[in-house]
Amino acid sequence: MSEPSSEPPGRLHPLAVLVFARKRIGASILPVLIIAFTWRGGFALPVLGVLLAVGLGVLVLEWRRFTYRIEAGRLVIERGVIRHTTRVVPLDRIRGVDLQAPWLHRVLGLVQVEVEAAAGGSSAAELSLAAVSAPEGERLRAALLSARGSKEAATDDPPPLVLYRATPRLLVAGGLTSGRYILTPLIALGVLANFADDLPGAFGERLLSEAADRVPTEVFGLTVLIGVGVLVALVLAAAGSLLTDWSFELTDDGDRLVAHRGLLTRRAVAIDRSRVRGFDLLDSPLRRAFSLVGVRVVAGGVGGGRSGRTALAPVISDDHARALARALDPLTALDAMLAHHPRAALSRRLARAVVLPTVLGVAALALQWWLPAVVLFGLGLGGVPLAIDRYRQLGHRFDGSRLVVREGSLTRRWTSLDPRAVVSYAVQRSPFQARSGLCTIVLHLGQGAGSRRVLDCSEEQAGSLLAALDIPLFAPFVPLSSQRVDAAA
Amino acid sequence: MVVTSVTTRCDEALLHFGDSNRCSSRPTALITRPPGALGQSGGVILREPALQLDPRVRRLWALEWGLVALGAATLTVAIVVPTALADNRLAAVVVALIGSSVALILFGLAVFQPRLLYRRFRYEITELGLYVARGSLWRRWQVVPHARIQTVDTKRGPLERTVGLVSVAVTTASAKGGTDIPGLDPRVADALVEELARRAGIDEGT
Repeated sequence: MSEPSSEPPGRLHPLAVLVFARKRIGASILPVLIIAFTWRGGFALPVLGVLLAVGLGVLVLEWRRFTYRIEAGRLVIERGVIRHTTRVVPLDRIRGVDLQAPWLHRVLGLVQVEVEAAAGGSSAAELSLAAVSAPEGERLRAALLSARGSKEAATDDPPPLVLYRATPRLLVAGGLTSGRYILTPLIALGVLANFADDLPGAFGERLLSEAADRVPTEVFGLTVLIGVGVLVALVLAAAGSLLTDWSFELTDDGDRLVAHRGLLTRRAVAIDRSRVRGFDLLDSPLRRAFSLVGVRVVAGGVGGGRSGRTALAPVISDDHARALARALDPLTALDAMLAHHPRAALSRRLARAVVLPTVLGVAALALQWWLPAVVLFGLGLGGVPLAIDRYRQLGHRFDGSRLVVREGSLTRRWTSLDPRAVVSYAVQRSPFQARSGLCTIVLHLGQGAGSRRVLDCSEEQAGSLLAALDIPLFAPFVPLSSQRVDAAA
Repeated sequence: MVVTSVTTRCDEALLHFGDSNRCSSRPTALITRPPGALGQSGGVILREPALQLDPRVRRLWALEWGLVALGAATLTVAIVVPTALADNRLAAVVVALIGSSVALILFGLAVFQPRLLYRRFRYEITELGLYVARGSLWRRWQVVPHARIQTVDTKRGPLERTVGLVSVAVTTASAKGGTDIPGLDPRVADALVEELARRAGIDEGT
């Protein structure tokens, strides 16, 4: 898509006023409503009318003043009713363009365009066009990203290759096996309880006592109640998974990986292939039992902070996950055996899991707080298998091109990484580690990709790993994609 | 004190300054056993960085901790006196006990902590990057490769100015990946910034 150096400035879709309104009203509707309903004088309606008119005027002005254009290799956004601001972003600094369609946008046929520019990952630096028509959004994305690749976008490229597609069955399985979703009803209950406190007339208490009266006391009734509760939780879990990741589709269009997902809010996240530095496989004990994992990309500028942006596949079978990672980076070493960490690491895991609850439990016993004591001792006891598994999962490997690290039990993260993604590294040693000859290596990845650890490896392992890693860190920066070409050749 | 600029006297230490920043001639090893197992320089994997901070940094840190301690003491007095005057004996005694012990601990830190930290803080510019080690019990050896350094800044806070020292901050693309070196003589800091910026390929230092 060849862009002339100057084009008429673009405006947001007129319906953007509605979107602005929704954003503004979200904050200010309550005081307005309170005024409207509590003011007994005859002024309420006229005042409300004036407020509405003024508000609408401001929104329309806001829309009128918001213009964007692409000129001379830069994106220029001008906005502001009272204070006029102009933002200029060179196109080669744009790291990604996301199109999002929350439900209101979808109903109106609009998309929200979010531009991510290289600016240290601060959210304030992000640029957002609240609402443009869907075709305009696609055009903008192509125009904004084409400058960098200097490649004609979507002309004679082969149709995008589908790398992963979430079937409803997979999503249901993922929802059922994810601890996160199982917690959802608990959170909902918590919110409800909080909310009930604010309701007038001791509504919450009445509801509770009412419910307490009706709780069956015999064993059969309780079993049924618990069964129904579990069923509801499972249904909610499956529904939550379906809602967020409905028809999740990962496609590869040459330069970019694009992930579409969502039932009500349809989101598209584009990840520049040249920024891909590695992959995380995430799972939990429950998912391990069913050989299911989630795949995330380790990439600069995709913002690990916001959930879901790095997801390549929310739920996928173990084998397919590895195949997917290999398809994107043939050097990925997620199949290889890992070097185990010394036994001393097990003692450390155990100490961490058991010592604190036990000490607190003893203290609770001494104070004759029986229930907390029982809970704390239970925690300590439950920590033992967890600690053993956490130890068993520890591992790392470096084969000269890809670094693999693994840690965690309840959420296990198995990472394959191009060591050139490492921005800086540190070796840390606590007094406890020093006594047992262990240390931890922290690898900082930069641009919002976070850091990965080699937890509790022996000093010898740390030494040989660092010695091996130094050489790739010296090498000039080469993106994965170009290396892929080398590997294929 | 004279900056003797870039030499390679201390093993691989590339920056070696005048005598006030002593170069520890014997690198202490993080890993000393088993010797030679890794086939590199006698089993030493991470030797300690060579250079120390300016000794005046002890005064700077003592000043910082002392000020905090003084603040705690003042706050205690400011609370204890009115409560005592208001005939609230018990509260006054409790506050006085807690406040004075906190202030005492802080004063103790002001006396001992700077020496310890000074002795344990080392830095060096190596072929690979900026190498900084800090902390005594919880120790951390950090390497920021030259190619990954984005900015090199010098900073002078009001306290640092009274002692006549400068700190150097190095940032990378990772928010946590950067590091800082507190308490340097301005001339040493300038040389350090220049060297780091040159190796990182940054046009303008500071």
